[in-house]
Amino acid sequence: MITRPAASAPRPYRFPDFVRHTLPNGLGVWLVPLPERELVSVQVLTDAGASTEDDAQGGIAALTAQLLVTGTRRLDAAAFAEEAERLGIEVGSESSWDSARAGFTALGAHLAAGLGLLTEMLTEPRLDEGEFDRLRAERLNDIMQARAEPGRLADERFLQEVFADGVPYGRLSAGRPETVEPLRVADARDFHASRYAPNVADIVIAGGFDPDVALAAVERHLGGWAGSGPGHRVIEPRQRGARRVVLVDRPGSVQSELRVGHLGIDRHDPRYFPAMVMAALLGGVFGSRLNRRLREELGYTYGARCSFDPRRAVGPFTANAAVQTEVTTDAIRELVAQLDRIRAAPPEDAELAEVRDFLVGVFPLRFETTAGIAAAIEPLAVYDLDDDWWHAYRSRLEAVTPADVHAVAQELVRPDEALIVVVGDADKLRDELSAADLGPLEVASA
Amino acid sequence: MAEVPIERHALDNGLRIVLSRDPRAPLVAVNLWYDVGSRHEKAGKTGFAHLFEHMMFQGSANVEKGQHFSLVQAAGGTLNASTWLDRTNYFETLPGHELELALWLEAERMASLLPAMTQEKLDNQRDVVKNERRFSVDNQPYGDWDERMQALVYPVGHPYHHSTIGSMEDLSAASLEDVSEFFATYYAPNNAVLTVAGDFETDAALAMIERHFGPIAANDALPPPPDMSVDPVLGAPVRETAVDQVPLPRIYLAHRVPPFGTDAFDAYDVAADILGSGRASRLYAALVREQRVAQDVSVFVFPIIGGASMFALWVTARPGIHLETLEGSLLAEIERLATEGPTDADLERVRNLQASRTASGLERISERADRLSMYTCLFDEPQRINDEVDRYAAVDANRVRHALQAAIVPDNRVTLTYVPAEAGS
Repeated sequence: MITRPAASAPRPYRFPDFVRHTLPNGLGVWLVPLPERELVSVQVLTDAGASTEDDAQGGIAALTAQLLVTGTRRLDAAAFAEEAERLGIEVGSESSWDSARAGFTALGAHLAAGLGLLTEMLTEPRLDEGEFDRLRAERLNDIMQARAEPGRLADERFLQEVFADGVPYGRLSAGRPETVEPLRVADARDFHASRYAPNVADIVIAGGFDPDVALAAVERHLGGWAGSGPGHRVIEPRQRGARRVVLVDRPGSVQSELRVGHLGIDRHDPRYFPAMVMAALLGGVFGSRLNRRLREELGYTYGARCSFDPRRAVGPFTANAAVQTEVTTDAIRELVAQLDRIRAAPPEDAELAEVRDFLVGVFPLRFETTAGIAAAIEPLAVYDLDDDWWHAYRSRLEAVTPADVHAVAQELVRPDEALIVVVGDADKLRDELSAADLGPLEVASA
Repeated sequence: MAEVPIERHALDNGLRIVLSRDPRAPLVAVNLWYDVGSRHEKAGKTGFAHLFEHMMFQGSANVEKGQHFSLVQAAGGTLNASTWLDRTNYFETLPGHELELALWLEAERMASLLPAMTQEKLDNQRDVVKNERRFSVDNQPYGDWDERMQALVYPVGHPYHHSTIGSMEDLSAASLEDVSEFFATYYAPNNAVLTVAGDFETDAALAMIERHFGPIAANDALPPPPDMSVDPVLGAPVRETAVDQVPLPRIYLAHRVPPFGTDAFDAYDVAADILGSGRASRLYAALVREQRVAQDVSVFVFPIIGGASMFALWVTARPGIHLETLEGSLLAEIERLATEGPTDADLERVRNLQASRTASGLERISERADRLSMYTCLFDEPQRINDEVDRYAAVDANRVRHALQAAIVPDNRVTLTYVPAEAGS
């Protein structure tokens, strides 16, 4: 019998208020002042992610983002790193499908200096040929290294196999060797000149600062940023084929990395909240159905989970687990059985309540740090969500019913269309997988 | 930097308590360090401390299997546990009004784990842990580097000679009797530190702690700590080559250095950052950016307290670069820093980076709680959390130079290289 102690009354929590401005050059400014913090987090989000690149140049967005931290007109790569790090600032710059993100977290006293460095790298980057060639070589090496790791190999193969030919999402946003290899510094210079511009950019500052001072600093530094960028293009995802199994041979593997899934939802899907709750219940928390069955009952894996990856356009829905080789086929059956089961009936009230209460209750914990709060503004800026998104967030989660979960499961979980990728030892798996009636089997080399 | 508030208490049964109140957010962190890790394992029982940690989530007299997780998560909390060489920690972060739930759950399993133990649960978690080992070690490129390094840096029989994850053979041999004995020996209030950080009322929290942990009996026969003594240096170079399914060769170096918590250790901490932390670090600048012989570089010191710690680093070769070339460049950079010592700019850089990182880390109450438990469990000095930046800044150029000259030398070095299977076989 459980003698769980009663909770005391909860203290209210509200997502911090923020103010928005738009500079005359089009730059969006989002300020989240948190007076008691000694840190500030700054992010500049530019619509210069992989969905703005040409297919033939897949990877140029990621390389250009990385190249920005290798110096400015005034400072070469070594001097730029030195100047930032001597203030305790570690500048990051990277890109995803939907945006390029450059920024840092630092002690509040260094906000102005950090903004200055960020401005230089965005508006006057050095875009040095030697540094570009180095980063391109490192990227090619990293892709090679990733393909030696079973998990990253499975992630890449899943994308490649689940999206139809010609859909840009059928690869990692960092590109493929075939598209990265021919890139030259001139491509990065063109990409920067045409895509990085204030009309498609937002700056987010969260932490301990005076909003008037910060706004003046942003105006001083970035108010003169000129130019106009096209922003992203429209991507129309389509799935490749029907239910099938792709076995990627990795000789000597003692586990099989499983990826099971199909296309999911985009970031503006009206079913976003029930879909998030459903995915958490199926494979998003420790006690989820997938983890409970495959780990806590069967001991097949260290962990099983699933998630949606909503983007501007429809991203994948994927369930995954790394299971010991000997139980591969049974683990796939068990995993697919959980996909069938969530479609078959609504969850019990108690099961839903546990997951929903977690998502609702954990809300303040996500915003404990200045970096966490800055990151929370990102989807508002990138996807144009309502300004009251976070204020309404918890009530939207609380509104999700068992019937809603059942309905989205039937629409969004489709085991009959699922692609099953297995990265493992083909000599041990080929026969049993082809006999298992899980779908037509293709065996591929890594 | 803002001081972390610290208030110490203890229960009659020996449980040490650290409270650190911060009501800015309506959140509370509960963190327990047990003074038991893989260094306490007996021969033939490697991996057991970690397997035992898994068993702590399998239910107790009044909590069902899996319910520890589900109750905390349903309360809007996060939780986990980890096992390492020196210790095992368990932690929850929850909305402040759910503090008592976490305290009750932790006390419940400290008091009454064994009535809920079954062979079925042990067999299940043994399989899970074996899959954890496959996932993180056996099926990963370079996955066994730390296991190999520990075996090379510490002599046979030393408590750090074996890895925390343990061997498949020893995991297979673990029994319910082992669970009972380990629990009775180490999972006692006088072998633990409990920290509560965040939004709570001190008197109420202390009353809850007394209510739930007070009745738990101490172990009056705690075993003495294992003998961790080891020569401060290896005495001769050690080399090993691993042939693995890796696309790029990689060099790992490790050295015996003074234990975590000593002033001498701090100098290695600073040296590691000068060499490997950030894009302006010595090794990144020389090997990755300028000479372009390395794909990446990483340098770190293990914060472990017994006998000797480990100053370790790795560099991955770019394609076409011979390992001899890479090793030569690497050692030349280390030698240069050891001979010339760091510049003022080096020191200013790493001190400011460390100050930023410390502030970032301590933003989270869970991190504050974990460090308070750590400093109390290892040194009985929670106030060390407020000295981190000053201790680090006190390391000057001479101390860095002397540290490197004393221990980062060929006679105290293990060199472990990974070469691709095709080239090596």
